[in-house]
Amino acid sequence: MNQHGFILWWDRLVAMTIKELKQLIRDPVLLLIISYFFTVDVYMAGSGINLNLRNASVMVIDHDHSAASRELIYRFRQPYFDFKGEIFDTKTAESLLDQGRILAVLDIPENFQRHLLQGQTVAVQFQVDSANTVLGTLATSYATEITAGFSQDFAAKRLGPDSGQRASLPVIQNRYRVLYNPNQIDGWFMSISELLTVTTMLAMMLPAAAAVREKERGTIEQLAVSPLSSLQILLPKVISMGLVILLGVGVSLFLIIIPIFDLPVKGSLGLFFTVTGLYVFTASGIGLFVATISRSLAQVTMLVILLMMPILLLSGAWTPPEAMPQVMRWAMKISPLYYFNEMSYAILLKGAGLTILWDSLLGLALLGAVFFNFGVWRFRRQFG
Amino acid sequence: MGKTALVNENPVIDIHGLCKSYKKKLAVDAVALTVKRGEIYGLIGPDGAGKSSLMKAIAGVLSFEQGSLTVFDVNIDSEAAAEKVKGRLGFMPQGLGLNLYGDLSVEENIDFFAQLRQVSPQQLSERKEKLLTMTRLDKFRDRPMKNLSGGMKQKLGLVCTLIHNPELVILDEPTTGVDPVSRRDFWAILAELLREQGTTALVSTAYMDEAARFHRLSLMYNGQVLADGEPDAICEQAHGCMVELTVESQPEALGKLKPHYPQLEAIGPKVRVFVDNLALDEAVSVVSGHLDGLQINSIKAFDAELEDAFIALLRQGPLAPKTGKDDSIPRFDKPLPDDKAIAIEAKQLCKDFDQFRSVDKISFKVKQGEIFGLLGANGAGKTTAIKMLTGILPPSDGEGQVAGADMRNAAQAIKERIGYMSQAFSLYLDLTVIENIHLYASIYGVSRSILKQRLDWVIQIAGLAEVTAQLAGSLPMGVRQRLALGCALVHQPGVLFLDEPTSGVDPIGRRHFWEILMHLASVEQVAILVTTHYMSEAEHCDHLALMYAGRVIADDTPGNMIQALQDEAGQLLNITTDQPLQALALLEKSDFKGVALFGQHIHLLAQDRDGAEKKIRALLDKESIKLLNLSADAPSLEDVFVYRVLALENQEPG
Repeated sequence: MNQHGFILWWDRLVAMTIKELKQLIRDPVLLLIISYFFTVDVYMAGSGINLNLRNASVMVIDHDHSAASRELIYRFRQPYFDFKGEIFDTKTAESLLDQGRILAVLDIPENFQRHLLQGQTVAVQFQVDSANTVLGTLATSYATEITAGFSQDFAAKRLGPDSGQRASLPVIQNRYRVLYNPNQIDGWFMSISELLTVTTMLAMMLPAAAAVREKERGTIEQLAVSPLSSLQILLPKVISMGLVILLGVGVSLFLIIIPIFDLPVKGSLGLFFTVTGLYVFTASGIGLFVATISRSLAQVTMLVILLMMPILLLSGAWTPPEAMPQVMRWAMKISPLYYFNEMSYAILLKGAGLTILWDSLLGLALLGAVFFNFGVWRFRRQFG
Repeated sequence: MGKTALVNENPVIDIHGLCKSYKKKLAVDAVALTVKRGEIYGLIGPDGAGKSSLMKAIAGVLSFEQGSLTVFDVNIDSEAAAEKVKGRLGFMPQGLGLNLYGDLSVEENIDFFAQLRQVSPQQLSERKEKLLTMTRLDKFRDRPMKNLSGGMKQKLGLVCTLIHNPELVILDEPTTGVDPVSRRDFWAILAELLREQGTTALVSTAYMDEAARFHRLSLMYNGQVLADGEPDAICEQAHGCMVELTVESQPEALGKLKPHYPQLEAIGPKVRVFVDNLALDEAVSVVSGHLDGLQINSIKAFDAELEDAFIALLRQGPLAPKTGKDDSIPRFDKPLPDDKAIAIEAKQLCKDFDQFRSVDKISFKVKQGEIFGLLGANGAGKTTAIKMLTGILPPSDGEGQVAGADMRNAAQAIKERIGYMSQAFSLYLDLTVIENIHLYASIYGVSRSILKQRLDWVIQIAGLAEVTAQLAGSLPMGVRQRLALGCALVHQPGVLFLDEPTSGVDPIGRRHFWEILMHLASVEQVAILVTTHYMSEAEHCDHLALMYAGRVIADDTPGNMIQALQDEAGQLLNITTDQPLQALALLEKSDFKGVALFGQHIHLLAQDRDGAEKKIRALLDKESIKLLNLSADAPSLEDVFVYRVLALENQEPG
């Protein structure tokens, strides 16, 4: 391409990009939606969703009413459990569980204390509503820990403070060293995860919407007979919407996640935004493909929702790859969000740099090239 | 004019002082209107004249602020009152097939509307068969609505509107965007229903030449009724007449007449001018006087037709729209192309889609400076032909060149050299006028040094100076189309492709638009290829090609086409009787060609005028129908179109 040709090419690209931005600015509804996702939605995800057991309501059937049983019940307390009171028969307990009013019921048998003092093994029953498996599992494991702690302490007490044997009682103490998120603040993980999800959705949706809108209004025909190439028609949509998304990510990071959730950014923000830019480009390729097979904005929306599901499932955000069946682990390699997830957490929380992340970056770039070219190729076939 | 038997004095719709406004804008302004039983009443006027609002108010789906509205003797002053008459009327809103469901089949659509209207199954099957046969849709009953052509969609819309046998049908622009053959079909069906059931119809249209189809009509503009009455009476309300002439030098004649006559138009080689306040012979001599010294080849005066009368009434009345101060159209700043050069050439072009041949070996040539009209029904292959010539669609076979570039291997060069304007709405409605022009200037690589100058030029040529900062979406259709044309001209192309550029634009807007086209062709030697459904526009073309089922079936000048039809089928006879509907039925059964109802009159084609008159008189006498008048005229282009297409349709089995 000679110099004149390049200037012309550049001018067209700029003109089309400005056109897209103007159209977006004049669409107040779309602007509102974008702002909502990058602010309110990310905030809600970071502050509202909790992965720990918090204030799980528990009730007790105490057949013993002894000091030991009170001692055990007392250990089911906040912040993990919330003791809601005593009930007197299993029927009531079951019905409360059925209604979802409480999460768990602790059933302490008669002669609990006597048997313990006699050195016998005593079973207590812990009924858990495990409809929500995460909560159910957490409640069970916390309860196990509490009863284990209780029985250990009780045993120690029974042996007596000065029996001299206490020191010889074998005990393993767990010493955690929590890396990267020392206080295990869920807000960090959740808000970043939501930000990545929102970015994915908008990166597919916005360029696709811009493209399909031209189809709906018939302006695409006018562009098709102009000297613009398919790339010159599509690239400005990706560039303009990419800029908007990068701006949104910036707003989300600097106005919500960092100030509100006190996220300490460990790595290079420059690298993070570069990765985000590349990711937006990749996801927009999928979006453009969606635009070629849709006839209306409604169809684009439905298809993006459809595609979001597998992309999220295969992202590794909720389940690490090791826990997936082999087939899914292969499929994850073509999910762009998998790479984006890995790199984002690594950069923001672990302070990782290119030396560690180069392979993920390469993977994302390759996927991006494939998806984007496929989108443009489909479009060209349609509008030649 | 005599009353027909079916039209009695009982008014179906009676309106006084009706007003409707949207926020601050007054859409309907003190309208008065009376529609009698059995009438086809027309509402004619440009986009935004208030026709749709008025029709919706009558159909009881739009509230209004002031005035009285009586339908079937029920005063529509509340929603409850509107509900009372809804069962007796049918309403078809504007837009091709907008009230239908695209994924349902023809039959399913009809059944759905019948269920809505609680038509009993027996009545439904009876009426459905009859209406489907009448509309010739019975072959397509299982086809999904979205796969029908525009004309078929409108016919299906009509069937769905009529399925509950309403006494009054309200049809909002049923023929916009529909080709002439389907349009005629549509009117024929309506006329037949009228005859059989005594249905009353209120119909709006943007086609002035359809005015003759109405018994009475109201001309609307800016929410007001400009004139109402029978079509002929309205034409008389515009004081003056038309003078048509041909001269040696058309541009010179236009220059001389322009200062004296605001309503001046060039049609092919002819010049037409509306002369205010003068009788026919006076007008001829006065116009000849203004042409002093120019060689006049022919000159004649005649009474104005509705389109001219409408514009004259607007001009003469208090509602006169602002005219541009500077009417002169600026010149290209590019060297003129050679006027003998071939700008567009198609040789045996073909396009196949799967099994279906959309364009079948079409050939034609367009020279620089020529306006070439491509006519044809919806689906005849016009748009596909244009897409191939503009380089969007590769041809399956054949060759062609556009603006000196071979369409098979130089699509990019073609795209840079041509201007293209597609069917309505091809603009960015959320950008302003100047932003739209600017965008296309950048796309077509207008260099920065001349950008400002070029933008000014486009604004002037398209007459957009007053609206540059407005959003394109806020403009009326006529102005939008001029903007689209301006955008297509921003790189001053030597060849221009226009695909139904004036669909849905009102007569004044269309006239302005064509003035620009004529200027581009005659002064700048731009070659223009245009498709249109308005046959009155086709007369502006230097050359026409008529397409049918992917083939070019006629290719000639408009004059020659009319002459050929006249040689083949004869003259157009305009017949007036005291019982037009009965006479129509009678003549349709006879062996006359092209029988159609136009309001109170019947048109047909006949070779030998005197012989035909005798035969018609004998036919009518038998049924004791009185022949009031019979006159002969040259057939119009629409007659040519309909005749040629129907001849081919009838040849084909199925």
